[in-house]
Amino acid sequence: MKVYVINGPNINLLGTREPEIYGYETLDDIATKCIEIGNKKGIDVKFMQSNYEGEMVGWIQDAIKNKIDAIVINAAAYTHTSIAIHDALKSFSGYKIELHISNPHLRESFRHNTFVAPAADAVVAGLGADGYSHVVEMLPYLPIPEK
Amino acid sequence: MKNKLLILNGPGLADLSIYDEFYGEITLSAIKEKCKNVCKGLNIELDFRQTDDEDELLGFLLKDSEDFNAVIINPVGYSHALTAEFAKHCLAIKTLTLQKKPVIEVHIANIFKQGADITKPLQVPEGQMGFVSGLGVYSYVIAINAISKKLNKVA
Repeated sequence: MKVYVINGPNINLLGTREPEIYGYETLDDIATKCIEIGNKKGIDVKFMQSNYEGEMVGWIQDAIKNKIDAIVINAAAYTHTSIAIHDALKSFSGYKIELHISNPHLRESFRHNTFVAPAADAVVAGLGADGYSHVVEMLPYLPIPEK
Repeated sequence: MKNKLLILNGPGLADLSIYDEFYGEITLSAIKEKCKNVCKGLNIELDFRQTDDEDELLGFLLKDSEDFNAVIINPVGYSHALTAEFAKHCLAIKTLTLQKKPVIEVHIANIFKQGADITKPLQVPEGQMGFVSGLGVYSYVIAINAISKKLNKVA
């Protein structure tokens, strides 16, 4: 199974950006852990991060081309604004999980809508940085269509 | 000491067959079995409940939760409700999270796919609370795993 874990703007600052909300682990720490879990479970996990909306859309399109089985996406602030990411996700026929480190619904009202969730199969939020590894661990059990 | 987990299921979840288009073949008893097995493997004592009575659900959340280290709740329609009961529900969850007890809201289906108006905010209580929606029975499993990890970190 091949999986893209796509991360949006400011996620590269994990570990230093408001650690009381997002924790002290860096994105590299999280990626290493997820890739390790993936190796054990026969899942090829590729981590990516961009501060640019268009680059993220490009990666979703790459996932379509490269016949990736699942996308885990933390679109960060673009969750609440990006119809382009919503549309790209709709074109991807594999399994899609929206992921957030914090629970956006508990924060400022401008974070309460999500363009990602209606285009996704599932939403996981507020489980901290551990949310990533919890999701990767669960992937073998989910109804992911065969490619 | 064994950690104690309370899993609460709200109105209508006893019979999932009427919601086939969202839930497929899942039954609440199958979910309960799965949760029991996962908890056993993690050495967690589980109390799994369902009620169609919103007052009873609130009672579980407000009073019975005192005896537990963590709570997972599938509140069904509450996420889009704006009622007096919902305000009480929020307060109960806030109280739990202030005691640093992990609380995770779970849904079997992705509630955002069920024609929810995404421009209207989802109604959720204040306080630190996790949220998992759309993974079927695995919404519960991931929540149990997350709670186990969190409780072991604190201990």
